[in-house]
Amino acid sequence: MKLILSDTPLNISSEISNGIKYIDLSELKIANCVGCFGCWTKTPGKCVIRDDAVKVYPLIAASDAVIYVSRIKYGGYDTVMKTMLERAIPIQMAFIRLLDGETHHVQRAVALKKAVIIAYGDTGEEEREVFRRLVERNAKNMSFKSWRIVFVNENETESAVREAVKEWRK
Amino acid sequence: MAEIIILNASPRAPKSNSKLYADIFIKNCKEKTEYYNISKNNHTELCGKINGFTDLLFVFPLYADGIPSTLLGFLKTLEKNPPEKKPTVSVIVNCGFFEPAQNDTAVDMVKLFCAQNGFPFGSALQIGSGEAILDTPFRSFAERKIKMLAGCISDGKQRVLKTTMPLPKRIFIRASTSYWLEYGRKNGVTEEEMRTMSIEKF
Repeated sequence: MKLILSDTPLNISSEISNGIKYIDLSELKIANCVGCFGCWTKTPGKCVIRDDAVKVYPLIAASDAVIYVSRIKYGGYDTVMKTMLERAIPIQMAFIRLLDGETHHVQRAVALKKAVIIAYGDTGEEEREVFRRLVERNAKNMSFKSWRIVFVNENETESAVREAVKEWRK
Repeated sequence: MAEIIILNASPRAPKSNSKLYADIFIKNCKEKTEYYNISKNNHTELCGKINGFTDLLFVFPLYADGIPSTLLGFLKTLEKNPPEKKPTVSVIVNCGFFEPAQNDTAVDMVKLFCAQNGFPFGSALQIGSGEAILDTPFRSFAERKIKMLAGCISDGKQRVLKTTMPLPKRIFIRASTSYWLEYGRKNGVTEEEMRTMSIEKF
């Protein structure tokens, strides 16, 4: 399965075909993670907050290709995307393993992914550099086997997503 | 004399490890301190309180490799409601991973906020194995570095401090596994259940 997760509505219906799921996070109600560790130690694999995030993290886990579309703020994902990514920890276990010599959480049934991050907004080189380092960290904790970041202005976001979907079809 | 406002940006602020780290900081700091939890609804109110302080210390956990949404939201409010005189910003960031360096990006994000908004950046303390270190014989490692951070803020020094449990990684992993199994046991959840590969289907 392939997943497009966006923090802004995208007019890409013509790009969506079988096997591609598009989610506009800005339409969903997703509360902040409260750090209760319930998804690791009370109801493993399941978040105790029963809002729209529970529709999304199983899709993240199942997808072998993802496009994440997010505004950039302070070198990271802005609130909508960041809140969802924080709520995706039920797909990991509490337990720690060594990965490339570093400690990271053991993953549950999570597909290794090819990730494209469409990072939009008015960003300078310093902010982009922080974001690159962030995504490099994400790769280890979010099962990216490869990743590519596309920095664009806000008005170029949709065309960047279309390009990335075309790449999937090759 | 420095006057330090301490803001806890943990999503579970009142019951968080960040609160415990802040308590240790307050106990070891010679300067006047005031402590607040950042909650969903008090961002503007807290921005108003920052006026008059020479230093602002954020205490928070690493979330998804960066600053938690709670802090992100607060920084966005602070950007719109800056104090007249901007305090020097320092941070204590902790992660459950062994390596304190896994907190680097979160520190960079706060530095970037400071650079974009004209706040001086002071010092950073990055704590690895931060979920459990205070409940272990290695608590003093964290306490010592927190005391050093308090000294840096008092003296207006810019330093990056790091600490973690003084263990080989494989021993850390074993200790961490025991910690989480005990956590699950208290909830009546077995190791097999905690190790399920299943993720709920929706």
